[in-house]
Amino acid sequence: MRDISLVKFLPVEPRVPFVKLRIGAAVLSTIAVVFSLFLFLTNGLNYGIDFSGGVVTTVDFGQAPPSDVQGLVQEEFTGSTVQNISQPAGSAIMYDYLRISLPLQDEDLATEGETADADEIRQAQTDAQQIAQKELIDFLESRYETVRIDATETVSGKVSGELRRKGLLAVILALGFVLAYIWFRFEWQFGAGAVVALLHDVILTLGVFELFQIEFNLAIIAAILTIVGYSLNDTVIVYDRIRENLRKFKKMPLVDIINVSINDTLSRTILTSVTTLLALTALFILGGPGLRGFSFAMIWGVIVGTYSSIFVASPMLLMLNLKRGSRVDAPKDAESQTA
Amino acid sequence: MLFFSRWKTFFIIGLVALGIIFAAPNAMKPETRANLPGFMQKTINLGLDLQGGAHMLLEVDLSSVLQQALVNERTGILTELRDSNLRADTIRITNGIVVGKMRRAEDQAAALDIVRALSVPVDPSQIGSPKTTIVTPVGNDGFSVEITAAQIEFIRKRTIDQSIEVLRDRIDPSGTTEMTLVREGDDRILLQVPGAKNIDEIKAAINKTANLSFHLVHGDSNNERALRQAMETFDPVTGEARLASIGTRYFPNEDGAGGLIVEESTRITGECLENSSPGVDPDRGNPIVNFKFNFRCSRLFGEMTARNIGRPFAVVLDGQIITAPNIRSAITGGRGYIEGSFTPDSASELSRLLNAGALPAKLLIVEERTVSAELGEASIRAGQVASVIGLLGVAIFMWLSYGLRFGTIAVLALATNIALIAAALTILGATLTLPGIAGIILTIGMAVDANVLIFERIREETYNGRPPVNAIETGYRRSLAPILDANITTMIAAITLYFVGSGPVRGFAVTLAIGIVTSVFTAVVFARLLTATWLRGTRPKTLPI
Repeated sequence: MRDISLVKFLPVEPRVPFVKLRIGAAVLSTIAVVFSLFLFLTNGLNYGIDFSGGVVTTVDFGQAPPSDVQGLVQEEFTGSTVQNISQPAGSAIMYDYLRISLPLQDEDLATEGETADADEIRQAQTDAQQIAQKELIDFLESRYETVRIDATETVSGKVSGELRRKGLLAVILALGFVLAYIWFRFEWQFGAGAVVALLHDVILTLGVFELFQIEFNLAIIAAILTIVGYSLNDTVIVYDRIRENLRKFKKMPLVDIINVSINDTLSRTILTSVTTLLALTALFILGGPGLRGFSFAMIWGVIVGTYSSIFVASPMLLMLNLKRGSRVDAPKDAESQTA
Repeated sequence: MLFFSRWKTFFIIGLVALGIIFAAPNAMKPETRANLPGFMQKTINLGLDLQGGAHMLLEVDLSSVLQQALVNERTGILTELRDSNLRADTIRITNGIVVGKMRRAEDQAAALDIVRALSVPVDPSQIGSPKTTIVTPVGNDGFSVEITAAQIEFIRKRTIDQSIEVLRDRIDPSGTTEMTLVREGDDRILLQVPGAKNIDEIKAAINKTANLSFHLVHGDSNNERALRQAMETFDPVTGEARLASIGTRYFPNEDGAGGLIVEESTRITGECLENSSPGVDPDRGNPIVNFKFNFRCSRLFGEMTARNIGRPFAVVLDGQIITAPNIRSAITGGRGYIEGSFTPDSASELSRLLNAGALPAKLLIVEERTVSAELGEASIRAGQVASVIGLLGVAIFMWLSYGLRFGTIAVLALATNIALIAAALTILGATLTLPGIAGIILTIGMAVDANVLIFERIREETYNGRPPVNAIETGYRRSLAPILDANITTMIAAITLYFVGSGPVRGFAVTLAIGIVTSVFTAVVFARLLTATWLRGTRPKTLPI
């Protein structure tokens, strides 16, 4: 019996001149990074409730939401946004509901002094977000009999500030630890190259969130860290092969070694990206609205991460002038040569 | 690499079998599961975002408790000085310090002795325990009293512990709900109630401190000027007002119109209550709250009422006067009722809160997340559909890529991996959250990476002319280092996320980390065993890869 396997259509020893494309890739990446940073200053991130504080209420009407809700809510509550989250009829899982967000409510009413009466101050002290949430729910329940509250979230300004700091800290720490690990396992040039590639991925992921103004919340921080893990995974595989080939082909110029190594690992890179993207696409389409932002970030991250390990991380070694004959070459290192 | 000793084979198969045994109950209907032996009853803990429920982060308002501690300190000093016939000019609280000034400079030394005697060890059971206050002389006729850091820490801890206890009694008097109520950080309490339907009741239990006290109304309440001045200078935030006499306090009426000046110190507080119940006024039929004092307070209340017949006393709840009746006769039985503007509902709510005791401090809901059971269920279903489709997609792709034999090995490794993740979550009692489901689906896609690395390597070695067994052997050995490197880096990201992240995101970090460990095991160890078994059985001349 003969097996049919697609992999056979991928050449075992492809010779794509990736390294030659590095100048073009560098220009492309630089433009994308600069554009993302520019967007950060102009558009900024569309922070979700986790990072901005405020009130989010998800309501269900048992059928399609009445068409006047959006107008009425926006008229009554300044700065509110109403999102209709629905899945078209006939899909595996049906849902059709509204997600109403109110911006962070002023918590410092008490400091405004004389104008506010005693009751108002007392309320502001108990919790501005809680009161806004109650007003919103009362408003909806008094107007729509069929309304059902599916989920509520309130985050105070204090907590959202903490979450923002913690999220940033998580990303910085992860990058730092990873740099330390790569440095420990490889030469410093590898560590620097990997971190440049990771920064590239993180900045471009932020960029796409700035460009499309997709809600940026805690789950996206999780996605970014996973992207860091994934992209690094890809980078390490290529680096590992570069290290191996440095020992194997002592005379070959570095440029060629890098190119051969990228090509050696190319089919693996493609296959793993495809399976990961398959799983993520299933999650994006079928996983429900709660995971859509996360899976979107991940899909984008996998694409960018794969690109960066080939076109950013590896050419960085050339730029950083990796010296031959250093410890990566030494045959006494971790893996032995013989088969 | 391809030789497995008998015990090693047995160990690997045993581990996988155990994984399947512990994972299986999760896929069964509850009725089927009930027939299984006890150790198989355990299933994965679902997070609140999946089973529905309320998650609230409460901040304890310690400033009001510390303020109260200062007020008590001042009251104590005032009483002691009066008892020793020492006259103080002023004793006031400024910037968290009690500052006193004696009328005559020669009283300073005596006053200092008295005030110092009030400073007791924070924890009397401990030798060398720090004192509650620091007393320092001010000028030649005054003193200042500051609460020590040790005492503040003691108050902080006590306040949070008491708050947790009271909340538990209020929300779950029967002790049957599976709720989490723990201290978080310096001044916060994490409350998690799974499947909570009565969110409004829970919030009412949090928002009302139910601090009850009975105060005699002071004569200044009849002094129109003193009362108007108190009313106009009353600060609802600190509860302070400009008062004519020392040892008095102004409270506004519940309806917001006016208020009364009462004697500040009282020994009849919420702690006196033995129990309370809602009731109906027998004469007028309006809702009331009945109460019964404990023995000690019954006597105190009896004495107080006997000495003050004809005078009004105020019932103060959370800083507001709910009623201020005249004492018609001595109340000696320790029973009575409070009559305010109650509805039947508010009367029964108040008596329930009073029975659970007062919260020592105001609680602020700084973060709240509630999810209905319906939405949680929808999330689970969506997660299941996405996992199955994702798994199928990846499996089909692996078969297409590596053909029947190696494809099957990869798919078996993947399926085992899912079972092991489920088993690990079950055994560890970890909580599966919505992002956690995302972590599992992501693992489905990423776990085959190790297999892909190995198979690609085998393919390359075959291409380089190695015979099958040798190629497989080399493929597995040479892939090990990159597989470990790649997975350790992802592990670093997962661990960082676990320690820095919070709530549901932690659930993601947990499933991701578990998925990394199990995927390395299934791809490197289990799949290798499968490959070796296949090799022994068929001894192929060429590899179908």
